[in-house]
Amino acid sequence: MADLDPVIHAQARLRIMAALSALADGDRMTFPRLQQILDMTAGNLSVHLTKLEQAGYVEVAKSFRGRTPTTSAALSARGRVAFDDYTAAVRALLDPPKES
Amino acid sequence: MTPVDDDAPPASPAETLALIQQERAAVAGTVSLNPLGYYLPWGAAWLIGYGLLFLRYGPDGRIFVDLPAWLPLVVLFAAMVLAMISTAVVSARRGRGVEGRSTWQGTAYGFAWFLAFAGVGSTTGRFAKYLPEQEQGLLWACVSVGTVAVMYMVGSAIWLSRDMFVLGAWLTVINIAGVALGPGWHSLLVAVGGGGGLILFGLILWARERRRRG
Repeated sequence: MADLDPVIHAQARLRIMAALSALADGDRMTFPRLQQILDMTAGNLSVHLTKLEQAGYVEVAKSFRGRTPTTSAALSARGRVAFDDYTAAVRALLDPPKES
Repeated sequence: MTPVDDDAPPASPAETLALIQQERAAVAGTVSLNPLGYYLPWGAAWLIGYGLLFLRYGPDGRIFVDLPAWLPLVVLFAAMVLAMISTAVVSARRGRGVEGRSTWQGTAYGFAWFLAFAGVGSTTGRFAKYLPEQEQGLLWACVSVGTVAVMYMVGSAIWLSRDMFVLGAWLTVINIAGVALGPGWHSLLVAVGGGGGLILFGLILWARERRRRG
């Protein structure tokens, strides 16, 4: 599995990408909810979200709801493409095209 | 290729795919509407409420079951209040932790229901008094059911759901047929076809979702 995207090919980041990929276009998920769904510590989630953000795969938005700051995340257009490519590559490994 | 950090990759391609499916399903489960909590209470309200109206105020003034005159409408409104509460709870749970486009879609749609029925109430309330008593009930019922049908078809355009359009179109057909047949028959059609239809619709969506998730 050497040629899989190394940014996605790590359990924590793969799970974050998969979870965010299930959101509808134009939607973001809040940090606490994402943490709850993935059952990750805040620190761990934060580290991996930052890595995905640096790779340009995830967009992290900070806003205020009243006085409470909220952080939410969504896949970027580039992240969606990268995730689709990654998924296709994994499928191809499972079911390799037959050589004639 | 150097790994980005020391977080271990999944053990195998099969496990990778399983992880993807698991997390996608977890998110889908929180953002999708529970069809049972959304459609069944309304179906039951219509089935019971309009069913009692039919039994008490049948076609041509017939009384099939001699219920107190006030009972059918009180039951219908009480059941609709319960359905409204269920809808509010289900809709609020659906959006937990999700922000963005879908929040606005849900909020605008919710307010559209309230405003639509404010219009129905003010217009019908103004003119119903000029009609004979049985026709008054029919006017209220057919304008309300017609509005519900339109709202489902609008919902179909928002959430790209063919099912919601079919539901709205079906309710429209029942409503038109009921108006043509007259008071009493309209109640029967809305109870069985409308209430029964909503219950069936909720059950079909629920079964389909279960099958999809395996």
